[in-house]
Amino acid sequence: MMTLIKIFLKTLFLSFSVSVLLLNHSLLHAQEQPLTPKQILDKVDDLFRSQSSHGLATMTVATAHWKRSLSLEMWSAGKEKSLVRILAPKKEKGTATLRSGNDIWNYLPKVKRVIKLPSSMMAASWMGSHFTNDDLVKESRMADDYTFEITFIGEGAGEEIVEVTCYPKPEAAVVWGKVLVRARMKNYLPLFVKYFDEDLRLARTMTFSQVAELGGRLIPAMVTMVPEEKPEESTIIHYEKMDFDIGLENDFFSLRTLQR
Amino acid sequence: MNTLQYGWRNLWRNTRRTLITLAAVTFSTAILITSYALMDGLMEHAVSNATNLVVGEAQVHAPGYLVDRSIYKSLAQPDRILKKAREDNIGAAPRRYGYGLVAVGTKSAGALFWGVDPARERETFDLAKHLRRGKFLPQKPDRTMVLGQKLAKSLQAEVGSEVVVVVQAADGSLGNELFTVTGILKTAGDSIDRNAALIHSKDFTELFVSGERIHEIAFNSRGRVPLEELGKLVAQSAPGQEVKNWRQLLPSVSDMVNLFDAFIWVFGLIFVLAAGMGVMNTMLMATYERMREFGIIKALGATPYRIIRDVAVEALVLAGIGTILGSILALAGSYYLQEVGLDTTMFAGSYTVGGVAFDPVWRATLSIKGFVIPIVLMAFISLVASLYPATLAARLDPVRAIHRP
Repeated sequence: MMTLIKIFLKTLFLSFSVSVLLLNHSLLHAQEQPLTPKQILDKVDDLFRSQSSHGLATMTVATAHWKRSLSLEMWSAGKEKSLVRILAPKKEKGTATLRSGNDIWNYLPKVKRVIKLPSSMMAASWMGSHFTNDDLVKESRMADDYTFEITFIGEGAGEEIVEVTCYPKPEAAVVWGKVLVRARMKNYLPLFVKYFDEDLRLARTMTFSQVAELGGRLIPAMVTMVPEEKPEESTIIHYEKMDFDIGLENDFFSLRTLQR
Repeated sequence: MNTLQYGWRNLWRNTRRTLITLAAVTFSTAILITSYALMDGLMEHAVSNATNLVVGEAQVHAPGYLVDRSIYKSLAQPDRILKKAREDNIGAAPRRYGYGLVAVGTKSAGALFWGVDPARERETFDLAKHLRRGKFLPQKPDRTMVLGQKLAKSLQAEVGSEVVVVVQAADGSLGNELFTVTGILKTAGDSIDRNAALIHSKDFTELFVSGERIHEIAFNSRGRVPLEELGKLVAQSAPGQEVKNWRQLLPSVSDMVNLFDAFIWVFGLIFVLAAGMGVMNTMLMATYERMREFGIIKALGATPYRIIRDVAVEALVLAGIGTILGSILALAGSYYLQEVGLDTTMFAGSYTVGGVAFDPVWRATLSIKGFVIPIVLMAFISLVASLYPATLAARLDPVRAIHRP
């Protein structure tokens, strides 16, 4: 789902900023005016802004009480727009979520109504998964709300890895007290993201696995989110098909498309 | 001449002083009784509002349900508990709860859905009559909804508004449905005001795919069954489940009732002491004025006991008249406050304290306890207050007393 894409993109973006930072570091001697971290982040932002994607995925949610799979079709453009539609099972077929900036709308085909998600429900689960509505929105604010710091470079699990720690800026209204990202040095593919709460206790872990070529890119095809408090529960997203730079019109991400 | 007559006559030897003391005793008694009745009224109102409206005198839940209100923590054998309550002739209302989203037009908000049995709610609790607008849920499920006051306001919902409902059902699926607002509640405590969305239990079960799950049974005998006994009866029918009475469910209200009770007695004691001081002052003055007289009486052979008796009876007559007048005044005042009440609308609209709604019209409740105790206390303190001057008089040396200037 798009949350996933978004989080995934965020991770990519983080790992990318790491790479730029590293690059920057090595260029320091050659270049008189090094880029500030802000400029680097802006550059990364621009990279993703022009991007659009379309994909198919299966989301499997397992809780203590039930386990179910949803087939999802998703679109995204830049950092601000995304759309996810449920294809199966039958009860939810056609249910769709549109995110534009900080706003989220849900379309409910059974009652044929669109509802805008209230801000009080941002922390609530998205479609019963272990992702929250906030996950859909917050990721585009990452650069605004957090400061980035490389906390580890070196050998890990048999390969070169880099670890970036993100701390919220003092004035930022954020959910997490710390976000820790690990990626491979070689290709900056993410390995995992750990989310820590305000007391810096681990709250949940998102793991990336099954690297595969989708839409001409090498990306992890499986994303697993496990809440720390309930390790027996999980949400797994498996990407089946991805297309990048498909040239979506901006008005594709409209309430009209949502209801289609 | 008997002692009473003697006391009565002595009292009116200084009319002004006696009248002032009489007024002090009268007003102290009146204020004490009336304010106790007012406080009692407030507390009774709080307790009955807290219990009769929706909480009940006791509730039963699955163990740990109140901690996280998980839809999966439902009561074991709710039918048995309900059947037992019916046999014991105690009102009982089963409720199901689940969280979700409600939206009217472009406004949306989180809500706690209550799946209720409208017939049982009507017969056991006052919530069904506690409506600001519209009607309560009908007996048969028809996808109608009753909203908490603040929730309705934030949704800008009116009676007849169409409400889109989205919930996470118990089987993990996404439940959604259209409801129509049939009523909007009056203030009923903060959490109800802010997030309650009442629907028929059948609609609830369908929406949440929650089967036979019941999360709460609330019991109300309207004061007929004592709290401890009610708790025992419920616990017997629901082994292994969590039974709580209203004092445990609403600790803030319970604390408030206890605190006010203590407060009113401290308050009362101060009044009684002040009135007692007045009586003592009068009797002291009366005694000093009559030192020569007491000396002569003593010289004529009066025993100290007789002098103490005379002074004490004088004080008692004073206190007696004062309390009788005071209680007449208090009866009139309390009756007025009981029937008409104090309208506090000009200070605050309807308000809530500790999650319990209060009516803006404050009414008194006059109880026998709240009437008799102040009178007895007042008589007693007057008697005690007179003992000191009486003892002084009784211990006089007649010769020196007679020669006092």
